[in-house]
Amino acid sequence: MYDLTDVLAVDAVSSIPPGSSLLVSAPAMTGKEAFLYDCLADGASDEQGTVVVTTGGDAEDALDRIHSRSSALDPDTLCGIDCRTDSDRENLERDDGSYITRVTTPSDMTGIGIGITNCFERLHDVGVDRGRLGLSNLSTMVTYSDKETVFKFCHVLSSRLDSAEFLGLFLVDSTAHNEQTLQVVKQAFDGLIEIRETEGTREARVKGLQPEPSEWVEL
Amino acid sequence: MPGPDDPVVLIVEDEPDVAETYRLWLEDDYEVRMAQNGDEGLEQLDGGVDVVLLDRMMPGLSGDEVLQHIRDDELECRVAMVTAVEPDFDILEMGFDAYLSKPIKSEQLQDTVQNLLERSAYDSLLQEYYSLVEKQATLEATKNRAELAESAEYNRLKSDIDSLRDELSETLGGIEDDEDFIATIRGLGDSDEP
Repeated sequence: MYDLTDVLAVDAVSSIPPGSSLLVSAPAMTGKEAFLYDCLADGASDEQGTVVVTTGGDAEDALDRIHSRSSALDPDTLCGIDCRTDSDRENLERDDGSYITRVTTPSDMTGIGIGITNCFERLHDVGVDRGRLGLSNLSTMVTYSDKETVFKFCHVLSSRLDSAEFLGLFLVDSTAHNEQTLQVVKQAFDGLIEIRETEGTREARVKGLQPEPSEWVEL
Repeated sequence: MPGPDDPVVLIVEDEPDVAETYRLWLEDDYEVRMAQNGDEGLEQLDGGVDVVLLDRMMPGLSGDEVLQHIRDDELECRVAMVTAVEPDFDILEMGFDAYLSKPIKSEQLQDTVQNLLERSAYDSLLQEYYSLVEKQATLEATKNRAELAESAEYNRLKSDIDSLRDELSETLGGIEDDEDFIATIRGLGDSDEP
């Protein structure tokens, strides 16, 4: 079971079944990346593997931000997939032992898939068989392809995470899409974490893991 | 003998004895077409072909080149590449859906063809699943909660979605291994509609 309560104090995320995939939906500028990195660093300091897919930003930067959150984690267990590389696909080990695989564009879903496979293999080699995969973010992927392909990609990836017994966390910018697109994307996931900011306070709630949505709690 | 609804397997192989052996193994369950080289293979390829057994090393158009044509033309068939030696390249990168190294045994060939057909079944289920989910989302975006609860169409849609989801996770046993995972993702773009 995966426990996110150190990041989000809600009972619904205290024992998430392995193989679950959650959508993290938040408006722009509400710190959803920070939330994702907190969740990943939390797992990494518990000897879980980390795979982070960055569709818009720099994966090395993402790994650094995760690493900086905890002194208890082993960088060998950190893997990143960078989807905005000008060069061809490549894999490399960084000086701190973390691992990066590069894909040229967020629309190269086969490349991202191969990257994820490489990362699983890498984690297996360093002796880690469970962990958390974070993707930041789906909105970029929808922009580069379309909601149908992204939905299917999420479904297939969730299914792979299910057999790998990983936890999946997928960010989406809720203000970047219409309601219908968001409804479609949600259907590919087992549960939903919503983040909002009201009067300077960041709050989150969880839907779909229990019959009733949780209360809003401060992050 | 195969019936008109049987899946179609195209064998592209330049050694007649080898091709004939494959045909004997497959003809009870599938409609089998034969091509002696890459050019003939491309001629025989149409929307009706479900699985291609493609020899990699052939005089004239090579297996790799035939595969490139198949991908460029976005044909929906699945391709098993037949190689003389264990491939020394990253098979996931190559763009085919499975590979077999010679000599091939009967059971191995049957299993591979069956697995490739299951993947195609998975693709069509996923397509169907998506269109139902999209319908559901449209209803949810245009009707309020009370209207939805009373809508027979909406309730039927929801139960159809549930059963399709179960069916998807049973096909291929979900997505169990890396080869299935990559081949399924590679297939995603095929049915793209603008």
